[in-house]
Amino acid sequence: MKTTQTIFEEGTHKWTAIVRDPARPDYLIDTNEYLVQHAGQGLLLDPGGSDIFPAVFSALSAEFDPSRIVGIFASHQDPDVISSLSLWLEFNPQMKCHVSWLWSSFIPHFGGIGDTFQTLPDEGGTIALAGLQLQAVPAHYLHSSGNLNLYDRQAKILFSGDIGAALLPADRQGLFVEDFAAHIRFAEGFHRRWMGSNEAKRQWCERVSQLDIDMLCPQHGAIYQGDDVERFINWFDALQVGIMRA
Amino acid sequence: MTVEPVSEQMLAVDGDVSAPGEPATMSGAALDLLRIVRINEEIKRIVTVAFKINIMALNAIFLAKRAGNAALGFGVLSNELRVFSKDLRESMMSLTRQIHDLVVEVSAVLQDSRHDDIFARATREVPDNAELQAVLARRETRHGEAVERIASQRRSLRLAVDDAARLVELGGVLAKSAKIEAAYGAGFATSLSQVSGEFDGVVEEIRSSLDALRRSGFFGGEA
Repeated sequence: MKTTQTIFEEGTHKWTAIVRDPARPDYLIDTNEYLVQHAGQGLLLDPGGSDIFPAVFSALSAEFDPSRIVGIFASHQDPDVISSLSLWLEFNPQMKCHVSWLWSSFIPHFGGIGDTFQTLPDEGGTIALAGLQLQAVPAHYLHSSGNLNLYDRQAKILFSGDIGAALLPADRQGLFVEDFAAHIRFAEGFHRRWMGSNEAKRQWCERVSQLDIDMLCPQHGAIYQGDDVERFINWFDALQVGIMRA
Repeated sequence: MTVEPVSEQMLAVDGDVSAPGEPATMSGAALDLLRIVRINEEIKRIVTVAFKINIMALNAIFLAKRAGNAALGFGVLSNELRVFSKDLRESMMSLTRQIHDLVVEVSAVLQDSRHDDIFARATREVPDNAELQAVLARRETRHGEAVERIASQRRSLRLAVDDAARLVELGGVLAKSAKIEAAYGAGFATSLSQVSGEFDGVVEEIRSSLDALRRSGFFGGEA
């Protein structure tokens, strides 16, 4: 079963990371799911693949009534991000899925009907959660061509999807980055290979540099906090991506 | 409470196990789908053979005309064999339609079974979540309905295969009668005997295919 850890809490406003499943088979990439709560409602960010639904559901249930999840935010279309959609919808058919318009006719192959999807334009947009305004931030081509991050201005948290992801070894399973230089080695190969555009990366770095961010939360690996957020943005800005020597 | 995946609760045929030649690890909907696919392949084979009978019967009619009065009976039987070929093809088309419906139904059960398993695991992890139990109960009801539909389709398919088998019995009688009539074919007797022998062989081939279908594990048999 996965574990949950509260990474931000202020009144009814809360961020919970759902992470690290020891029972996960080796052939599945490890994923982080995040639950944003506000005034009794929940938004689940990148709920994960169908195979890990029981682990996510059970960990989440220990923290929050899953029937109060009103929506899902999918950063992009990958199966490790959103293939559990039909299971969540079966649990609550009223749930909405917020996703880039680009994938609005692709993701329904995982589940859902037309009404399920609240599509977001390329420039991003606002997602309301019980009065809390969350901002979908463009991160296209990093790695998906229709890719969005989610920024919570009040919590100062940026959910960055695959940006910042690291494939960590078994002996480095901490939730937060503790030694940036040591950690980033596990992120480098991933970013070089998965991120497709230096131009898009440049734009993203400029865009998020203007945001006030305490925590940068990727879908894989550890969370960057404090000064490590800026370190990561600078490191990413300098990294050459989209190059593969076959 | 012990929650078993719906897919494991109801196998397609009571006590169903994989037969020789089938993957030992396969069961339930996956095994049914494999068996349906094999039945369909056999049906396609019969359709090809039925078409062959039609051509053979046409040639036999020409041969009987050339033989004249000595092969009047043979000509009548050749005509009947053409009708038999047409009826057989129609029968196989009807089986194909039933197979298509079954594939759709069984595929849906197969697709659902993975999710059934996932929900069962989730329910084991969170046993006191009433909504989750309700989802599982809904799935079980839906699965039960699908299993009933499949059972009904299975019975209909079996009846249709039995009807086809009776039709082939008639074809066998016609082929045997053609053999007898060939003996009265005077100067054409050798040619007519050869043609009627071929009819007999082809009908036997179809009979053998239909027997294999009736013995299919899909109908509770061992093949």
